Amino acid sequence: MTEANSLNSVLRKRLEESETMLAETGCYDGITTLECRDMDPLKFETIHMKLRAGCVSAREIARRISASPGVREVGEMVAAIYTPEGDAVAISNGIMVHVHTMSRFIKWMIRNDYEHDPGINPGDIFANNDAFIGTVQVPDVMDVVPIFHEGELVGWAGAVCHELEAGGITPGGDVALAQERFGEGLFICAEKIGLNDRIRRDYVIRCERNLRMPIYWILDEQAKVAACFSMRDRVLELIDEIGVDFYKRISKEFIEEGRRTQLARVRQLTVPGTYRSNTFYGHVTKGKPGFQPLGDPDWLYSIPLKMDIELDGKIVVDFEGAQPWGYHSMNCTPAGMDGGMFVTLTQHMNFEGLVNDGAWLATQLKLPRGTWTNPDSEFCATATSWALLLPAYGAFQRMLSRGFLARGFLEEVFVGQVNSPMIEMGSISQYGKPFGIAHFECAAAGSGALAIKDGLDTAYVGWNPESDMGNIEIWELDMPMVYLGRSILPNSGGAGKYRGGNAFMSTWVINKSPEVRIVTSEHSSRVFDNAGMCGGYPAPTCQKHRVVRNSNIYQRVEQRRPLAHSTGLDQNNLEQFYQGNQQIIEGPHIAAPMKEGDIFTHSYNGGGGYGDPLERDPVLVLDDIIQGHSSQIHGERVHGIRFKGTIDDETLEIDFSQTQKTRKRLRTERLQDAVPVMEWYESEKDKVKQGDFSPEVLKMYRAAMDLSEEFAQEFRAFWQLENGFAYPQNEQVDLSNE
Amino acid sequence: MNNLQREEYRLLLDGQLPWPQTKNLMSSYKDRDRFFKILEIYQDKVEWDEKILLPIGEHLFIVQKGKQRIVKCSCGHEFGDYRKNWKFQAVLRVRNTVEDLEGIYPHADVCDPSWMEIREFICPGCGTLLEVEACSPGYPITFDFCPDLEGFYSQWLNHPL
Repeated sequence: MTEANSLNSVLRKRLEESETMLAETGCYDGITTLECRDMDPLKFETIHMKLRAGCVSAREIARRISASPGVREVGEMVAAIYTPEGDAVAISNGIMVHVHTMSRFIKWMIRNDYEHDPGINPGDIFANNDAFIGTVQVPDVMDVVPIFHEGELVGWAGAVCHELEAGGITPGGDVALAQERFGEGLFICAEKIGLNDRIRRDYVIRCERNLRMPIYWILDEQAKVAACFSMRDRVLELIDEIGVDFYKRISKEFIEEGRRTQLARVRQLTVPGTYRSNTFYGHVTKGKPGFQPLGDPDWLYSIPLKMDIELDGKIVVDFEGAQPWGYHSMNCTPAGMDGGMFVTLTQHMNFEGLVNDGAWLATQLKLPRGTWTNPDSEFCATATSWALLLPAYGAFQRMLSRGFLARGFLEEVFVGQVNSPMIEMGSISQYGKPFGIAHFECAAAGSGALAIKDGLDTAYVGWNPESDMGNIEIWELDMPMVYLGRSILPNSGGAGKYRGGNAFMSTWVINKSPEVRIVTSEHSSRVFDNAGMCGGYPAPTCQKHRVVRNSNIYQRVEQRRPLAHSTGLDQNNLEQFYQGNQQIIEGPHIAAPMKEGDIFTHSYNGGGGYGDPLERDPVLVLDDIIQGHSSQIHGERVHGIRFKGTIDDETLEIDFSQTQKTRKRLRTERLQDAVPVMEWYESEKDKVKQGDFSPEVLKMYRAAMDLSEEFAQEFRAFWQLENGFAYPQNEQVDLSNE
Repeated sequence: MNNLQREEYRLLLDGQLPWPQTKNLMSSYKDRDRFFKILEIYQDKVEWDEKILLPIGEHLFIVQKGKQRIVKCSCGHEFGDYRKNWKFQAVLRVRNTVEDLEGIYPHADVCDPSWMEIREFICPGCGTLLEVEACSPGYPITFDFCPDLEGFYSQWLNHPL
């Protein structure tokens, strides 16, 4: 063993020792007292602020190097500084989901003897986008560089960009059609991609030859490496200022303080106990071209969650009863599940103070092996993990919010995040060149409602607290499609006393291209993949795509006739305005390529509502109608509002007296239409015992019961089924695609 | 709690607090005794006398009734022991046809009722919609929250229950 290897092997031992210390003392790395903080609290805060500022400015540097509108416009990036063992000390803003996935990547290299081969040396650059090593999905490519001080590894600097093209079976990054790992695109598996502060040329060549739009990925690599170098310089400058021993101590104290703060904040904002929630997702690919007969094309996913808040403030979230992983791209690895948890915590609890991996150490995820949350096959695809992650952590937010409500912090109650379907495309650009891109305006869905106000319209996604749809003109530069319109989708937020935030839809005409492949993902069209709270309803299911192939739009333009800019309230505008082959396609959109003159629409999702819709302030309903956020029929049916006048001649107003009477009548009708729950229960029991469900529902129960005896027992106990009850495996699995 | 703060929290509960003040409440340090302040306001708003121990929904509270701790609606309807799921004592409307679903989702796409249904849990006393579940047919009713009431009061609040 060389002297360098001998030195490096200390790193692995150090990691194991750190984990042992945590297990034995309950404190990060065995740090039971915060000496640096107690000695000088101001200095403590100031030093952390310098590190955090280093991360934030590194991210900004990178955004100015990147060629990708995802990074430049929408900010799909994060930067962080780690301990030698791979624990985040300080982080930037941005897609903070990856703070902990990068941590897993660094630890993976340490555990897999990277000290010996390929070696960890000053000037090295490592990259990864393998979710089983540490990321969420293939387009989330992370780079880390070791930080050495006088020959000693004192930490790591890391950065992640979400790539807009990953070279998979379909263009873009969230490769919806990938059914195994082998269709997801270009994998970089914890690879040393650079030496002596330079990215290897052969690595760049590999990227150039395996991606549809290598300029995004390659310049993002330069951007991330520049960010890492900037953070490395900041750390070394700080060490010069405060001394290496002090830096090593204080950086670990930051994490331990983060852990303690998280526990304290849980005790401050919530109530201990057991919380439960669930959500669902409908995956529909039957009949779509390109589907491989490896498993069922359609699948209904149930996602049950149980959260225990323990008396010490620890949050334990259990996914027992979740569905098995499948031959689709929505599976998630524990790294992705950690990431989802971390980014959610940063929005609810870990949003100030020392934001770092400490918060994550104060939580525990139970991810049953074999489920989509923790697949037992590393061949499975994770390209669209977010399809299940977002609904799951939306449910987590509702559970947390129940705690905030119980504790009296109404201003923190939030119905949660929702899926935001992606649109991706590739083939021939408007410049006559090959191209591929994921369109990231999806980073601006509607949010769930709050307990005191409506949700945000077109302004929130769970994975990036700085949600931004980007400017139309920037997107148009990068794709051969021209916007006909971006429009609020009326009624797309879930109804409630406070409605969920509304979503928007985009309408494009394909322009100056003979061939564009358009693929969309994260569509749950058969089931609501979100929910309301305290009487609020879920937001509608994801709207179907409206398409006009071979449209006469250019003719209409020449004739200077009006154009349709959206599908309109009744979703029939395109039929009314354009001639051509009209199609309604349930997502995901996987279809033959489109071409110049074809029209395509894509809708995003709204958030769930809060509270009884009959308690909504009538003035808010009227305002929504005037602003185009909801329809008059919606106000009448859902909120029991009675109007006078008409919207067309601007005389619409509320008839308060009739509204009051109507709402009273609707409450009475509710009671007349409803039955006691126990009566309903008795009437349902036989149906459940007989398995009188659609094939997809039956399959869902069978799969969950096969995988989880705990779920099976709870299901049997709830419906008073005999011990050992199971649904028979008597159906042939339909692997056909017809 | 002074009158000004009482008014601020009352407005917050009613969704009437102006945004700048709401934003301030969100962004500033949380008051340590918020729980008792909010309980006081809830207690003033309801017309019954049982002591509120914990709010668990927009209209639902765990209250002390004699030696029992039960779930009670703001209207006064009682749902029984808080350790059992109050939903079993509610009345239920299930929306499991397209027509029924479109009633609540005009001009929007809805779920396939063979894959999912909407369950509306309604207070038998006042007809208020208390919770909505969106789940597959046959899915067990969810018990949203069972608090550790004793632990909360004794260890987190340092206050007798």
